[in-house]
Amino acid sequence: MLRRLACTVVQSRGIKHTVNVKWVRPDYVPAYKPEKSGDLEGLPPIPESAIGKDYSLSEEIKDASESVKKIFSVAHLGRKEYNRLVKEELIDRVKRHQYDHSTAETKIAFLTGQIRYLQDTMDKFPRNKKMKQLVQEKIDRRKKLLKYLRQYDYKKFEWLLEKLNIEYKGHPESFHKLSRMESLRKLTEMHCDDIRNKKLADYRNLLESQQGPYLQQKLDALKLIRSEQIELKLPITVTEQDITKVQQQFDDWKIKDDIKQKAMKKKKNIVLEI
Amino acid sequence: MARNVAETARKFLLLGQCVPTVKQNAAKIRVKRLELDENLLMYFRKDEFYYCHDPKKVCKTGDIVLIQSLPQKLTKLITHEVKEVVYPFGDITDPITGKKVAKERYREDMDRQAELYGKLDSTFDYNKAPERGWQDGKKDFTSKPTYTKFHVFDENDPYAI
Repeated sequence: MLRRLACTVVQSRGIKHTVNVKWVRPDYVPAYKPEKSGDLEGLPPIPESAIGKDYSLSEEIKDASESVKKIFSVAHLGRKEYNRLVKEELIDRVKRHQYDHSTAETKIAFLTGQIRYLQDTMDKFPRNKKMKQLVQEKIDRRKKLLKYLRQYDYKKFEWLLEKLNIEYKGHPESFHKLSRMESLRKLTEMHCDDIRNKKLADYRNLLESQQGPYLQQKLDALKLIRSEQIELKLPITVTEQDITKVQQQFDDWKIKDDIKQKAMKKKKNIVLEI
Repeated sequence: MARNVAETARKFLLLGQCVPTVKQNAAKIRVKRLELDENLLMYFRKDEFYYCHDPKKVCKTGDIVLIQSLPQKLTKLITHEVKEVVYPFGDITDPITGKKVAKERYREDMDRQAELYGKLDSTFDYNKAPERGWQDGKKDFTSKPTYTKFHVFDENDPYAI
């Protein structure tokens, strides 16, 4: 009975957080989405009236009538023909020669074409599980090929990223499910760092603001000592160099202080405007 | 005993690989060692990480470099300095012929093959290519470690996955 009471009175879960940090869980983004796969560009602009890949080679199609051209256009031939043109467009950007189909860059370009049109279809049919899996496999394969290319030919890797408009991110140390505790811990750590840095900056500002008056005082004192030593014909301990050095420091401080004051004024103005 | 070995090793030059790090004024170097398990009489891999002083930023992620311990610690973390880059990452030279290599083939051979088939303008040209690092932070995010995205910040960090 007592134990039960104790359980209800002493809460072990849901202890109130004393640090004021608000956590927003990032939204779930499917892995096939361009922001996850790293594609910075959609499908290439191919008009619907473009003629299919094989038919465009024929001589007769060039001076055929409009209706014939329409029959052999991508819009009429179907999505598959359109996709072939997409792949061809991407491969054309990087291929070495006419028969180049097996080098790393053409393989990556080919996969990129496939990924881009599959992403387009996934947006239309997001519940298509088979296709989701297929896109995922292609993205992983491309990432692997990019990883290898990076290892043996860095210059080409960078050129390829530019040409195909892909982003490459390294593998994280561990893939794990995001937890509330971990996120809150990191946020709290960042919050503490902020506080510490702010305090340090404030203290630094305070010390720097005291520097100017002190240097002024020092300069006056040194000048006085020197003049009196000359007057009384005592051995001179303060040289001209010492005085110019302090003067230099004082001038530097003045310039720095001016910049600071201006920044402060700007900030105040912005706050007032808001 | 292991401690003694580690201490003496500190005096020698070490060969390691540069790994991504968030530290801006130092390079993080991974030195791979093999440690003997006396029960199994087998060697197991054991990595050690050193933060190295690198004012000129000569080494980039993935480079194989030589490091040596500093006479005095620069900071609490930075104990070594980068001596030289032995093998730049992804820019391999064949040690026997001194020619540049991509994977198992010479670059000039690949060029020759492309010329025989009929070289196109879209071919990648090694002579015109800029030095490594022009895509760093733009499309190539490998100089810092990536991590799982844990919060929605105002500014989107590209290293958060």
